Amino acid sequence: MMELKVENKRATLGRPALHKVSVGKIIVTVFVTLILAILACYFLIPVIWILIASTKTQAQLSSTGIFSIPAHLALWENLKLVFTYSGGVYVRWFVNSIVYAGCVAVLTCVVCSMAGYALAKHRFRGRDVTFYLILASMMIPGTVTAIPLFVVEQPLHLVDTYFGVIFPLIASPFGVYFLRIYIRDVVPNELIEASKVDGASERRTFWRIVLPIIRPALSTLFLISFIGTWNNFFLPLVLLHSQSLYPLPVGIESLLSLINTAAANQTLPLYQLVITGSLISILPMIIGFIIFRKHIVTGLTQGSVKL
Amino acid sequence: MDSSLGKRLSPWSFLLPFLLLFTAFLIVPLLYAFYTSLFIHRMGIAYFVGFQNYLNAFRDVAFWGSIVNVMKYAVIQGVIMLALSLALALLLDTKFARFKAFFRLVYFLPYAVPGVFASIMWGFLYSKPLDPLLQAIHFDPLASGAFLYSIVNIATWEWAGYNMTLYMASLTGVSADIYEAAKMDGCNEMQLAWYIKIPLLRPTIVMTIILSFIGSMQLFNEPFLLEALTPVSQTFAPNLDIYNMAFSLTNLPYAATLSVLLGLITILISVIVMVLTRFLGRTAERRQTTAMAAGV
Repeated sequence: MMELKVENKRATLGRPALHKVSVGKIIVTVFVTLILAILACYFLIPVIWILIASTKTQAQLSSTGIFSIPAHLALWENLKLVFTYSGGVYVRWFVNSIVYAGCVAVLTCVVCSMAGYALAKHRFRGRDVTFYLILASMMIPGTVTAIPLFVVEQPLHLVDTYFGVIFPLIASPFGVYFLRIYIRDVVPNELIEASKVDGASERRTFWRIVLPIIRPALSTLFLISFIGTWNNFFLPLVLLHSQSLYPLPVGIESLLSLINTAAANQTLPLYQLVITGSLISILPMIIGFIIFRKHIVTGLTQGSVKL
Repeated sequence: MDSSLGKRLSPWSFLLPFLLLFTAFLIVPLLYAFYTSLFIHRMGIAYFVGFQNYLNAFRDVAFWGSIVNVMKYAVIQGVIMLALSLALALLLDTKFARFKAFFRLVYFLPYAVPGVFASIMWGFLYSKPLDPLLQAIHFDPLASGAFLYSIVNIATWEWAGYNMTLYMASLTGVSADIYEAAKMDGCNEMQLAWYIKIPLLRPTIVMTIILSFIGSMQLFNEPFLLEALTPVSQTFAPNLDIYNMAFSLTNLPYAATLSVLLGLITILISVIVMVLTRFLGRTAERRQTTAMAAGV
């Protein structure tokens, strides 16, 4: 009897305090999570809108609410419009985007890892000057060189070619900086020395010893440079004028700019072309981003935190 | 002898491909831009005029108007976006946040969406014919008064999650001991954020300010895309002006002049911000150490 009373007392004593803390914590947790959820809606709204809008006909786009889903989904018809427009030029743009982004990403990895290796593991006169020059060039706004590039590429016959877009994007100062730090920190000097003692040439040491070790950093740089090129608009806009060489952003923009002209607007289903075309351009990036997010984040943060 | 020469050359042979591309497609265009800016074209013939283009540019009201406008944009956008990014990172870093991985992914997702498509999506959401809600409340985000803020919104949507990710990475690098010690001293989450986390994030915040500023000064895609939906002043941003100058008016020397000036202004202000924050950081540190010394 006594014991029970004591226990009861303890329970009533302990309970209110415990109760208070947990209720307070729950309220704050709900409140914080609610704010986070509302902000998540903000970031999702355009994506949700374009998913819905791509299922609508031209008439439904202007007559129905922006987030109302039509009874009959016209997604298939819209996709057919996009892929058959002007003899399938959209497919061409899509392939071009893959070519630009893929070539730039691969070549950036090769060129920057070689440069990064030289700067990280060799001592030579002019090394620091070279490195600081590359570092300083990271501050030059990218668009400043676009128009001069156009002028310089003209005599080289690179304007309006694939290489004209690819070459300028390979020389990434960020790539060299990122790989130089990674190679310096991760590749052991002993391994390089051992390889040289075994009689391997510099080139062989680089390809057989260094590259396999830095593979994680290379996949990160590949992704960052792939996304960067896929998203680039200004440079291809300035350097290309043949429709058949456009990457997706420039191609879709060329359609969007027709919306102003009444004649084109009446003969072409521009809104559906732009909306559904945009959706198909974004989806692979979003899916790839979700899959490879970890690699991308490590690259961005490693590159920047140490800056 | 041969091998020592080979040894000396080998680092350069590794650097060669990069340096070739770097020189041909970055350094040469920059130098060439400067070179062209010293000429004028009359009837297809180039005349050397020295710094005349620069003198003209200094008196170019439209150009300076666009610089002032884009700086105004850079400040407004930078403050709003970085405050949002910081708030997101700090909220996600508290023990109260649930579904952290999901939220982090959603906020960072726009980074994968090309700026052109972000502008198209928001542009259509802004455009009255497509949006009955905007018609009902008589608000036009594309009208001249709201236009700058509509662009601020697009850029914030695109880059807030990116900056949040940088902040979160800096926060996870902090050892748990510091937080434990702070909690032992009776710090609540609010104080923890204000007194511990934000000071720790300082270098990252400075870096994001500079990156965001350099990005904002180059503003082009968003206003250029929205031109299809609403008339946009060519002097809204310097890059619109320069693009127009180079391709519609085909005045390349003057476009090059403005490009060089824009680059110089951007770099100059970035350096000033860097030096200033380093200086302020040092005085703040000194004050802190003297305060601590006084406390002891």
